[in-house]
Amino acid sequence: MKIRAIALNTFKEATRNKIYYLLIFFGVFFVLSSKLVTLLTLGDKVKVLKDLGLASINFFSVLIAIFTGIDLVYKEIEKKTIYNILSKPVSRSCFIIGKFFGLALTLFVALISMVIIFFLFMLLFSGEFDVRILVYFILLYFELLIITSISLLFSSFSTPILSSVFTISLYLIGHVIWTFNEFKDKIVNPIIKTISYILYYILPNLEKFNIKNSIVVNSDLDSSMILGSICYAIFYISALLILTILIFNKREFK
Amino acid sequence: MKAIEIMGLKKTFTSNFMLKKYNVLKDINISVEKGEIYGFLGPNGAGKTTTIKCMLGLISFDSGESFICGKNSRSLEERKKIGFLPEHPYFYDYLTAKELLCFSGMLFSIPVKKVKNKAKDLLKLVGLEGKEDLKLKKFSKGMIQRLGFAQALINDPEIVILDEPFSGVDPIGRKELRDLIISLKNSGKTVFFSSHILQDMEMIVDTVGIILEGEIIKQGKLSDLISHSVQYYEVVFKDVDESLLKSNNIGFKLKDNNYITKLKDFEKLNYIIEFIIMNHGKIVSVIPIKMSLEDIFLKEIKG
Amino acid sequence: MKSKLFIFVVVSFILAGVFQYDYDSHINYFSEKNIFVTLPKGKTLEILSFGFKNFVADMIFIWSIQFYSNYSLMNRFEYVEDIYNIITDLNPEYKAPYYVGSWIMALELNDYKMAIRLLQKASKNLNNEWDFDFESGYYAFKYLKDYKLAEKYYRKAAGKPGAPSFVKRWQAHTVYMEDNLTYAFKMWLEIERGAKNKLEKNSALNHLYQIKFEIDKNNLEKKVELFNQRFKKRPYNLEALKRKGILYIIPKDFNGDDYIYDFKTGKIKAKKVFRWKKFS
Ligand SMILES: Nc1ncnc2c1ncn2[C@@H]1O[C@H](COP(=O)(O)OP(=O)(O)OP(=O)(O)O)[C@@H](O)[C@H]1O
Ligand SMILES: [Mg+2]
Repeated sequence: MKIRAIALNTFKEATRNKIYYLLIFFGVFFVLSSKLVTLLTLGDKVKVLKDLGLASINFFSVLIAIFTGIDLVYKEIEKKTIYNILSKPVSRSCFIIGKFFGLALTLFVALISMVIIFFLFMLLFSGEFDVRILVYFILLYFELLIITSISLLFSSFSTPILSSVFTISLYLIGHVIWTFNEFKDKIVNPIIKTISYILYYILPNLEKFNIKNSIVVNSDLDSSMILGSICYAIFYISALLILTILIFNKREFK
Repeated sequence: MKAIEIMGLKKTFTSNFMLKKYNVLKDINISVEKGEIYGFLGPNGAGKTTTIKCMLGLISFDSGESFICGKNSRSLEERKKIGFLPEHPYFYDYLTAKELLCFSGMLFSIPVKKVKNKAKDLLKLVGLEGKEDLKLKKFSKGMIQRLGFAQALINDPEIVILDEPFSGVDPIGRKELRDLIISLKNSGKTVFFSSHILQDMEMIVDTVGIILEGEIIKQGKLSDLISHSVQYYEVVFKDVDESLLKSNNIGFKLKDNNYITKLKDFEKLNYIIEFIIMNHGKIVSVIPIKMSLEDIFLKEIKG
Repeated sequence: MKSKLFIFVVVSFILAGVFQYDYDSHINYFSEKNIFVTLPKGKTLEILSFGFKNFVADMIFIWSIQFYSNYSLMNRFEYVEDIYNIITDLNPEYKAPYYVGSWIMALELNDYKMAIRLLQKASKNLNNEWDFDFESGYYAFKYLKDYKLAEKYYRKAAGKPGAPSFVKRWQAHTVYMEDNLTYAFKMWLEIERGAKNKLEKNSALNHLYQIKFEIDKNNLEKKVELFNQRFKKRPYNLEALKRKGILYIIPKDFNGDDYIYDFKTGKIKAKKVFRWKKFS
């Protein structure tokens, strides 16, 4: 009940903030740029449209994930509204988990709205409805949850600017870290090798959620790997959330 | 059992990079009886807010103990009994007054239906009738303060802790809030509030604790602190010959054709009054000047 | 409570790691599917890198090293020239990619012409560096056996500031390999005159000895053959050539000693034995 109250309140705050402007911006951006792009390309226009739509949904939802997470926690502390919560019989873990679910709900609604715009547009344009794209959106949603928990972690002890920098860096690292998968095995020095192994497994590994390419070129999806990715996300998020709670328990509100 | 008991509370703030330590609370001992109104008095920066935050677990402290109804005040269980109004309260300004109260109530796990009724009553109680559906963005500072009061009462707390409840409220509003505090006391609640507005405090508190630079320097019943301290008597009279006063060694000041004399001695008072009447003077007023809380406060602070 | 939570964190991370490991073991990151097939040209990428072109160049370079040291991949060399062209377009003054790229092209792919193309791009962009030309010359000399080309690169390298003296010796040797003996002789004379130490001087003297011998040997053996045609027999010694007016002066070797003439075969030998041979 308490968690639900905090989650719903977070969702309310996010939606009454400027997040919807971003969504409107997405819609306009997507429609206009797809008009432009289809004018400029030859051949398979549907593929280009799909590429563009998925890329812009990805981009905008990641923006929302990074910045609402940081903004909402920071505001709560900075404006001291958190006093009203923590002075009541609400534990700090309750607060963090409530915030997380509130953000998850916000992201869900934002993503769903963009997906609906996308599907409607695709339906109008090409008359086809590719259900497999939904799989991509599900994986994207789990990636967004990981990003949100990263932003929660950083904003539990850092300033919003630093948190944004850290979160964006981890997001970028998360998408290139796979290139070090084989590299780490080739390191000879045992200390550096151990460090690389630890880093490789502790840093977020996000490229696995990116199945845009396989979707667009119609190649097969491996369901066991998709399930594996989701399990990875769940455990990674739990680790981050509990770590956040540990840090947040220590925090003083001045 | 005491409603609030704080013993030997110490708190140091470390500044950035651990370079400097600030001893903010040196030794705080407070005890609040059940059902009384306790005034926590101290100049700016004395450590009032810090003490309250320590008590509620918003910050850590170095040593000491803090109890509510005999149990650790920082435990979640005890916080169910507390209603708290923070200093300079700020609430989510995208919510309406009713939504805020409902949210607060849900944090106490109170069923939604019950909270809704309660919210209506409370808004009426603090004089925010008809403002239920107004966004907090549009609230004035005084209105916010009243709303803060209302949300502190949402769980029907045994103990109400108010940090500067009167700041930003106009004189009429202050009177209303004072009455409200008294009515809380009458309904059996304990009220603990900090303030530096002495008049408000003097009018309603049962017990005062004065904090200065992180130490409680005086604590006691207000009546005890004030009663045995009639400082002097002020006699105002007129139509007496000045030379007569001088020859009888009576000191005076002249103001608007009235003479004013200050007397410490009760015996001398009777003598003076007699003297005036015998000399066909007229007595305008005789006032015993008592020591106010302000005087006590200033005296304590100056040393 | 706190330590319990901490254990939870560790366990969750480990479980996440297990899934990561499982995922990694199912996927071949550098399989054909995952190679990006189209790379924009360097100029396009430069615009796309929003002012971080050096950084982008670094990233692609680092990535390329990972990529090309993966031996399980058969078609990984398809884009090697494109990739290094992009890196060096983005950051033309960055030396390492030229070296690494040319090594990959030459030593792994054995495409020496491609390596030389990259090195010559480096030589153009980094005008004061001698070693790109030197390496170009080496590949041309050693693998392409195009001595004319090699000589061109060595000459370019030798003309650049800071080029060590061995560049010039390599150039002279290439000229010799080209069979341009008189020019080679002239170069070695120059080197001998400018030698800074005994070793350089001796090396130059040896080369001069050999080149002079080869020039004289060719000349003398031709005259011997002429004698043979005219008199239907070989001359008994070299003096005979002079006596019959075929030769005016009998040449001596670089040290002033006589050459050794073998009457039976008509071949000329030098007194000194050589340590190196013309390799081909
Ligand atoms: N986060 C902090 N770091 C360092 N010092 C602090 C911090 N918070 C408060 N202090 C110091 O602690 C002292 C007490 O502060 P506190 O806010 O408790 O005073 P107060 O009695 O509530 O004053 P006021 O009447 O102005 O509200 C002040 O000297 C203040 O400078
Ligand atoms: Mg204060």
